[in-house]
Order: sequence, then structure tokens, then C-alpha cells
Amino acid sequence: MSTATEDKHSAALDAAESGATQHVTFRLRIRRFNPEQAAEPVWVDYELSMDPKEKLLDALHKVKWEIDGTLTFRRSCAHGICGSDAMRINGKNRLACKTLIKDVLGKPKNGVYKPITVEPIKGLTVLKDLVVDMDPFFQAFRDVMPFLVAKGNEPTRERKQSIEDRARFDDTTKCILCAACTSSCPVFWNDGQYFGPAAIVNAHRFIFDSRDDAGEQRLEILNEKDGVWRCRTTFNCTDACPRGIQVTQAIQEVKRALITRRI
Amino acid sequence: MATTETTPGAPENPGAVAPVIEPPRKRTARTPRSTRTNFELFAWLFMRLSGIVLVILVLGHLLIQLYLDGGITKVSFAFVAGRWSNPWWQVWDLVMLWLAMLHGANGLRTVINDYAERAATRAWLKALLYAATVFTVLLGTLVIFTFDPNIS
Amino acid sequence: MQIHKYDTVIVGAGGAGMRAAIEASPRSRTAVLTKLYPTRSHTGAAQGGMAAALANVEEDNWEWHTFDTIKGGDYLVDQDSAEILAKEAIDAVLDLEKMGLPFNRTAEGNIDQRRFGGHTRQHGEAPVRRACYAADRTGHMILQTLYQNCVKQGVEFFNEYYVLDLLLVDDPEVTLASGEPGKRVAGVVSYELATGEIHVFQAKSVIFASGGAGKFFKVTSNAHTLTGDGQAAAFRRGLPLEDMEFFQFHPTGIWRMGILLTEGARGEGGILRNKDGERFMEKYAPVMKDLASRDVVSRAIYTEIREGRGCGPEGDHVYLDLTHLPPEQLDAKLPDITEFARTYLGIEPYTDPIPIQPTAHYAMGGMPTNNDGEVLADNDHIVPGLYAAGEVACVSVHGANRLGTNSLLDINVFGKRCGINAAEYAATHEHVELPENPETLVVELLEGLRTGTGTEKVHEVRTALQESMDANAMVFRTEQTLKQAAEDIRELKMRYRNVSVQDKGKRFNTDLLEAVELGNLLDLAEVLVAGALAREESRGGHYREDFPTRDDVNFMRHTMAYREVDESGKDAIRLDYKPVVQTRYQPMERKY
Repeated sequence: MSTATEDKHSAALDAAESGATQHVTFRLRIRRFNPEQAAEPVWVDYELSMDPKEKLLDALHKVKWEIDGTLTFRRSCAHGICGSDAMRINGKNRLACKTLIKDVLGKPKNGVYKPITVEPIKGLTVLKDLVVDMDPFFQAFRDVMPFLVAKGNEPTRERKQSIEDRARFDDTTKCILCAACTSSCPVFWNDGQYFGPAAIVNAHRFIFDSRDDAGEQRLEILNEKDGVWRCRTTFNCTDACPRGIQVTQAIQEVKRALITRRI
Repeated sequence: MATTETTPGAPENPGAVAPVIEPPRKRTARTPRSTRTNFELFAWLFMRLSGIVLVILVLGHLLIQLYLDGGITKVSFAFVAGRWSNPWWQVWDLVMLWLAMLHGANGLRTVINDYAERAATRAWLKALLYAATVFTVLLGTLVIFTFDPNIS
Repeated sequence: MQIHKYDTVIVGAGGAGMRAAIEASPRSRTAVLTKLYPTRSHTGAAQGGMAAALANVEEDNWEWHTFDTIKGGDYLVDQDSAEILAKEAIDAVLDLEKMGLPFNRTAEGNIDQRRFGGHTRQHGEAPVRRACYAADRTGHMILQTLYQNCVKQGVEFFNEYYVLDLLLVDDPEVTLASGEPGKRVAGVVSYELATGEIHVFQAKSVIFASGGAGKFFKVTSNAHTLTGDGQAAAFRRGLPLEDMEFFQFHPTGIWRMGILLTEGARGEGGILRNKDGERFMEKYAPVMKDLASRDVVSRAIYTEIREGRGCGPEGDHVYLDLTHLPPEQLDAKLPDITEFARTYLGIEPYTDPIPIQPTAHYAMGGMPTNNDGEVLADNDHIVPGLYAAGEVACVSVHGANRLGTNSLLDINVFGKRCGINAAEYAATHEHVELPENPETLVVELLEGLRTGTGTEKVHEVRTALQESMDANAMVFRTEQTLKQAAEDIRELKMRYRNVSVQDKGKRFNTDLLEAVELGNLLDLAEVLVAGALAREESRGGHYREDFPTRDDVNFMRHTMAYREVDESGKDAIRLDYKPVVQTRYQPMERKY
């Protein structure tokens, strides 16, 4: 059994514990849009001096609280659980609260860092700054019957489920509906009618739940023109998922279920 | 400090509220109706299977046409006539024609679905695509079966 | 301004709100108003589990659970309520399983259970496996499952609607203890974030399920949005707040950030160590060790730090050591918290201990309710039609210190009760006439802030509040620190009158709402400090260094804080007390 004494520290722990903060100066380039004031979005740069171990959300807060209170974005839990603050950071969908500044800062050239760009996620109507209209996204979620449908008599105690059956759909239960996957999908960018990865992930969570009896109906829905067959396996969604869900694999599993059950 | 504005965005009349920019084909509150067909499933499966078959057919075709027996120089009217007198090559080319055309057409259909934003544009592009496909497939089939080696 | 008319209005769409909605919406026309999209609620951040004496893995029964809850709450728990909580826990878990919640399973296919702090067999003999869980994402699964079932039932949500005022009308037939007429609920006033429009919801019954207020502390596991909006609205309308001085500090928050690392980590075998590598909890709780109740562990950690055995260059934290646990176990049972350590600290919990410190976690106090979820106007009268459940409420099942896993239980048991009772109330009563110009108070508040020209900034005032609260009203309190906090808050309230917001627009004006939320935090912090100053004893989460023992003679009673406005318009806090309901458990010395 190991004991955590001071001399057994790894370099990583020492770094994590060091109280000294090395502030760096960098620019945050945010795509601002306020339809109350201007018809077109503009890129605005903010110069910040912060500890790069802080989160990008902290940088956004610093702008909002100390420089420009009109900057608008959604956030709540600030540690990657609630899914409020999905945005495009340096062109990639991420949660601002799960992204540390140092991870998107890059290497300085002549002592100057390239600005970190922050934009709203794509494919959904931008309402103000980084806030998008989430209703179409949740509509797609609601359309795949994202709830347990169990036929037959209810047992008095819990329904039984083996450890293996439970593990079968574990990955897709992790979804926090942040929309990072769906809004990273090139198909969705051009066609909002596509269900999108998040809705399929949530259908998958029930299709492969041994307690559920409505898998057929969900497969029927996803067999549509705007269902799983529109997936082009670009893996953008898997890269974007802040929860590490194997999104593309889940979509492929739904496709496979459709093929094996229909043919 | 807000230091630079990298793109200009000053409004003409600042008082007016601008419309927000909508993405194409936004999902509405209406749930899409189920068509209960397996068309998309078969189309998807067809792309994979026809692709595999086409690899064999097309590579075989290219090998014969361009490489074996003196390569491209041998291809002439007589060569084609000789090949099509054999039902094996007739079927080979017919299958290759149909699969390639359907594979390509379905691929283009997908591209149109993915990239054409307006419903009318989609309909027109697809109509054009289907017409061209049907025309080419029919013409090619006709040629393979009605080919006359004695034409002069 | 728009006026909507519903039978039942639920404020908040976290666990309690949605559990209530599932019961209320089939029975009455129900609207759920929520300042966040439902799946953003902080129920989703709960990790470890939900207690219920299912006895799936070892002998257990709800009576032991009742006892543990009462003992955990340092005997300030209303014992009849705790009994309901423990008894109905079993159905609450089974309900969730039937709704589809993916619990971890035993080899037999039943719901698996694990150990958690303060949960024991035979009244304290040894730890018991009572927490039903889904990895370290139990709250996430509960939130998702409840939302899924709301979708299934077509529950009507008003997303991003901030409820800023509670509409009460006088009921002259009832006289409260204060001599004032009784109150009945008429509805709520809300602000639509997207448009800036005011919406008045007239309702026969209203359920508050708007969550906690932990953001008045700096190091907290609470979300940015947990600003006590429900408590503050009720308090401003003259309703009491109960036991606000009892605030739980979770022992294991990530150092400085406060991000929660579940007690389940210690349930799985994790150990707290000081800089010498010593398992210090053995000194403080010989039987339960690291699984003693949270207040005990948090105090132990700070005692270690104060006595110079803290870790790191500044000696201001201790370690949560998981390195002796097999990586497979961590991956299967604690995947999220190990990822937090990797993401936010850059360390590998397989091989490195995790730097932690206590983090402000949960308000035991809140709007006082009875066992049916009805909100009290004073010790003896309810507000007909008004209900509360979850962290916003104080039943009180948590007393002076909540046991881990009992909050997920609380939201389900009392959320369900509120949903049923509110819908039944709506079925048998008529709408109460709205007061004239119901929106006045909210409009004045918002316009005052929007047009304010003051020089104070919201975040500066908020940071000052958080720093004062962390320094003066956290795990260890004295008369001196609490007086300091009270003075700081008084001064900050003056500064608050002088704040202005930069965003003057209508659309998604979060700048404005942050200012409103700060006002709520200031009001509630003031109540917390007032209650803590008056409670000259140490009990559960409230520890006074100048009064280090529990005083059952003078303080075995709930604090009831009222806001009173005198003729000159100055408001003050009046403290009253309410007896604790005791059934079969006599207060004993609390040892773990």
C-alpha cells in the first residue's frame, strides 16, 4: 500500500500544488453578435493576463465581469456536468469549463500567443454572442422517444438486469445534451432536419437497454431519411464529445441493429 | 480592453433590431412522420455492396482494356465487337454500367441532400440527376444488347 | 407583460421540480418554470448515490436508516419526517428504476449498493452498504431519467424563465402569530431571459424547487446559478427561513476549485491523509474513520491544516488517496472524479493522491415545510397552496448536517409528495385573485438595476461577499468572525444599492440577472450569519469555537428567521424558534 508522503510526489502533483502562478498575457478573440445593436456579428479581441491553468470559462468570466458586462454566454456547473457552455474554441467544439487555457494557447511566436478564438456552436440559430437557440436540438432529442418503454406487468421490486446487460449501453448514458457533437457534424450544419449525433446517442441508450421494449419503434424513426443513414462517419462528433462517448460507434451500432433486424 | 475589431460591423441604423441568422432547414416543432420504408437502409447497404463489386469489375475492366495484350493500342472497333459477342463480357459490362450509375447517382443524391439548402433547389437538382441517370443507363443497356458488329 | 393561468406552477426543474412535475402534470394543468434548461440543473452534479435500505447486498432496514439520518443531523432532525424519508426511500429508488434509471447491478441483477458516510448497521456498529448508485454519476442519471419521463408525459416547460417574485394575498380569516393576517398563494412573477419580458403566472398551487444558495461562498461545489432565488423571494414576502445557519461543507472538494469529489470515493476505500501520510481520520472517528459524517470529516481536515499537518507548499489542503485501489475499480466505479483530477489538476489518480479541501456544498436550511411539503408561514400556520421541496426546503430531514446520499433521496421523496399534494390542492380550490399590478416589485427591481448609474460592479461586491463568508462563516465560526461577516454584509448591501450593469438590453441580459442574483445572495447570507450568531452552541455543520459543545437545553430547536420592515422602511431580521419533533430517539452524544 502506498502512502502519500511528500517525497513520493510526481512532478505532476508538484505542479498542481505549486501556489505560484505564472500569468501569461494572451488575446481572446470572441465572435460577438447582438441583434439589438448590429445586424452582423463581429470579432472582438480582449487582452487578458491570467494563469494558464485556469479554465477558458474563467477567461470568459473575466471579460464579462471586468471588461464588458454585455458579453453573453450560458454556464452553470463549471465542471463539465451540466452541458451549458458548449462553444467553438479554436475551431473545435468544447465545453469552456472543461478546457484549460494552456491547452488551447499553443506556443508563443516571438513571445506573442496567437489569439484564442471563441464562437458559438454551428448549425443552430445564434441569438446573442455565444447563446444559440437550443430548441431544435432538444426537439430532435424528444423525437427519438428518449424514455424507457416497458411492457408487461411491473414487478414489485426492481427489474432485473445483469451486469453485462447494464454495461451494454453504459457509454451512451453519459450524455449531458450539451450539443457539442450535433453542432460539430457537417451534415447537421447544412441540414437541421438530420436528427444529429446526440439524438441518436440517446436512442442508442434505450435501444440497447435490456429492460426496454420500444427499440423497434426507435429504429423505425432512425431508419428515416433524416436518421442514421445520413451519418458520414466523419468522427467529428466523437472528437467533440466532452464526456468521451464513442458517438460514431454508437451510430454505427444503431445502423448494424437496423441491418440485422431488417434483413 | 476591447482593442481591435477584426471585421467591421457598424450598423446603418443602430436602433433597429436585426433578425438573427437562421441555419438552413431548421428542425421545427413538428415531429417528422414515419414513412415506414427501408429505402434509406437499402440505399446505404447498396453503396457498400456495389462498391465492393465495382472494385472487382472496374479493376478487371481497366486491366483488360489498358494493360493486357498490348494495352490501350489493341482497343478498336473489332476488339469491342469481339468481346461483346461473348455473353460473359456483355453481362460484365452491363452489371458494371448499372452499378456504377446507381452508385454514382445515389452518391450525388446524398451530396445534394447534404448541401442543397432550399427545398426547390433540391428538387430540381435531384430531378436532373435522376433524368440523366435513367437516360445513361437505358442508352448503355440498349447499346450492349443491340450492338451490331457489322455496322459500317 | 403577459399573464398565464395554470393549476400548478413548479419553480425549478432539477430533481425535486421534475419529480413533482411527473406527479402533478397528469393530475392538473402544470407549468414548470426554470431558469436553466432542465438538464442543466445541479442535481446532475451529485455523484455518489441515493440511500435506501433495499438490503440487496447485506442486511439493512429503514429503521437503521432513520436513526442514522437523525444522528447525522445531530438530533436537530424532525424525527417523524426522517422516518418518512427512510421508509419511502425504498419506493423512491424502485420508482426511479422503473422509470429507466440505469443503476449499477449486483451479480444477481439487483440494484447494487455501496458504503457512504454516516450510514451504519445496528445504530452505529459498522458501515453498511445502503447507497444505490450508477458509477459516480447518480445525480446525472436521476436528472436525465426524470427529464426523460417529463418528455414522455409531455410536461410543459418554460425554459430560461427566472422567477423573481412570489405573489401572496392576505387571508383575513387566519391570524399568524405575529398578528398579521394569514397568506395564500396567488402565483409567481417571472422574467423571460430571451426577451426580457415579464410573465405573471397565476396558479392555484405553487411548488418551489429552485435549489440551493451556495454561491455566497467562494470555494463551493455549487453551480454559478445556485443563488437562492426561491428562498430570497419567499423571505422578501415575509415568509420565514428555517435553520439557515446550517450549511454543509463537503470534505472532499478539489483544492481551491471546490469541485466535488464524491464521498463514494471513500466508500470504495479511498483514504484521507495528511502531509505525513497519516490516515488522520482514525484519530477523530475510530469506528467509521473516513466514513464519518461530513461535518466531522471537514472539521478534522481543518484541524489537521491548522495544526500544521496540511499538504503542499502552503500546507492548506490534505490528500484523498486512491492510489491503493486497482485502476479497474476506479474506472468502473469512479470514472468521473478521476477524470476531474486529470482535467483540472493534471495529475493521475492511479498513482498520485488528490489535493482536496472542504467545499461549501449544501444548505440544510430553507423554506420550512411540513411533511406534506406545505410551506409554513409561522410555527403553526401553513400558506395554503404553497409547497417546497429539495434544497430550497427545510422539512427538516437533514437537521444540522445532512448525510451523504440523503439529498437525492429528499428530492425524490418530497418532490413526489409535493407534486401529488399540490395537484390535489389545485383540484379542490379556485384561483386566488391576483393582486393589482402584480409585476410592480419585479419591474422596480429590474429597472432600478438597469438604469442605475452607480459605480459599484456586481462581481466586486460578490467576490467580497464570498471572501468574507469563506473567512468568517465557514467550518469554524466564532462570535467575532460572525460579527465581522455581519458587518461586511451590511456594508456590501450598501454598496449593492450603488451597483450598475453594463448591459442595458432586453435580450439575454445575463448581466442584469447576475445583479439580481447577487441581491438574493446578500439577503440569504445575512440570514445565515444572523442565525449563526444567535446559536451559541456547536451542532452538526454549525461549529462555534467559542461554544464547542452541543447545548440541548437552549438550542434543541429550529431557527426561524423572518424579515421585518419597520415604519421607516428599514428591514431587519427577526429570529424565532420552532420545536424539534422527537419520536423515539433520545439525543445522545454523537460519535463515529
